[in-house]
Amino acid sequence: MEWFNNWIDKLHETFIVGDRYMTLIEGFEKTLIITFGALVIGVIIGTIVAMIKVFAHNSPKSKVLKVLDVLMNIYLTVIRGTPVVVQLLISFFIIFISAKDGTWVAMLTFGINSGAYVAETIRSGIMAIDPGQMEAGRSLGFSNIQTMWLIILPQAFKNILPAIGNEMIALLKETSVAGYVAVVDLTKAGNQIKNTTYDQINPILLVALVYLVMVMLFTWLIGLLERRLRKSER
Amino acid sequence: MNGDCIIKTNDLCKFYKGGAIKALNGVSAEIKKGEVVVVIGPSGSGKSTFLRSLNLLEEPTSGSIMFDGNEITNPKVNINIHRQKMGMVFQHFNLFPHMTILKNMTVAPMKLLKMSKEDAEAKARQLLERVGLADRANTYPSQLSGGQKQRVAIVRALCMNPEVMLFDEPTSALDPEMVGEVLAVMKQLAEEGMTMVVVTHEMGFAKEVADRVIFMDEGAIVESGTPEEIFDNPQNERTKLFLSKVL
Repeated sequence: MEWFNNWIDKLHETFIVGDRYMTLIEGFEKTLIITFGALVIGVIIGTIVAMIKVFAHNSPKSKVLKVLDVLMNIYLTVIRGTPVVVQLLISFFIIFISAKDGTWVAMLTFGINSGAYVAETIRSGIMAIDPGQMEAGRSLGFSNIQTMWLIILPQAFKNILPAIGNEMIALLKETSVAGYVAVVDLTKAGNQIKNTTYDQINPILLVALVYLVMVMLFTWLIGLLERRLRKSER
Repeated sequence: MNGDCIIKTNDLCKFYKGGAIKALNGVSAEIKKGEVVVVIGPSGSGKSTFLRSLNLLEEPTSGSIMFDGNEITNPKVNINIHRQKMGMVFQHFNLFPHMTILKNMTVAPMKLLKMSKEDAEAKARQLLERVGLADRANTYPSQLSGGQKQRVAIVRALCMNPEVMLFDEPTSALDPEMVGEVLAVMKQLAEEGMTMVVVTHEMGFAKEVADRVIFMDEGAIVESGTPEEIFDNPQNERTKLFLSKVL
């Protein structure tokens, strides 16, 4: 049992002395803030992009929609064609050069990045809805956008919720590179503790454990929500 | 019937693939206020396309449609306003599955006519009562039978106080034993003086309820007249051939 006592002593020295665990808690908060903020931004951008692409598909005559559609394709190509870390560096060191706190920059960058992936999910979710729903909405006198908002999207979201959940889990893990732009997120916090205490093992393993538990928790919550949504239709 | 014309189409055409397929080939028709017009014809004759172009769900390639004194085919016209006055019933009901029956019926009056929730729900319940579905107000569409869904679809359109009701093969997707309940509601509506344009294969309904029957084939109106004229004494060969097959 000696090794166990030694390990407990080591943990105490690494995390408790000098209240170093506070760094981890603050990093944990940062990770959550960036993840949720980016998810909200991503879903908003993704929804708008998806709607523009669907409308452009439905009314091929509109020139405005055609131009917007081309712009959206450029956005999708650029974002999906470059690594998120590089996008983060561009945001922080080129675009938001005067930003002092990297948190907002990271949130925005991950959000814009996520939007490109969410857009495709939402678009296919919208296309999967029976065209008769759009016709019924339009026949009552709703505009294209009203029908989309009141009738199509609520049904589409039910279908795409699991995919959005997976996007959130992917985002949570992706944000671990936020340390590149001077954000002390969970990963960076663990790394800092490792560097100050020369404990090469425990901080990193603890960080991994926290991510794992969060992912398992989110997976469970998404499953719960999905089952509830399905029930409301029966 | 007071003789006023509420819908008038002039030389309506709908072409696909640059004119290779002519779904509508110059259809000119008039629908009078209070009139029940039943459109019959073989499948692919353009009758559904004609009906769906009346509220511009199908955009005609050329020709014009006057509705209630407005030329709705003019691109500057806000079609959404005019669609509020044209109720439509679809073959596949197209109820909104994520809303209760009551919500299905009140969403449009509340958002578009700015009706209060109380007023809209009162009206919806009253209409549900009339079609014998008052107890289903708080259920979801998936809990209803086909005939019940179609009756809800009819009263959903009626909640907007339309001036015209368009029916696109309203009984074609129903099990035979449910056809009667839907036709009964439509008949009741006709007796109350609603202007109706009905595309259907129910010849019994056409004979009994229609003021006028239009026979279409190959994207054009072949013959039009009272049910007696069309069914008992058809003039055109194609009408005779069609009726000999369906009657």
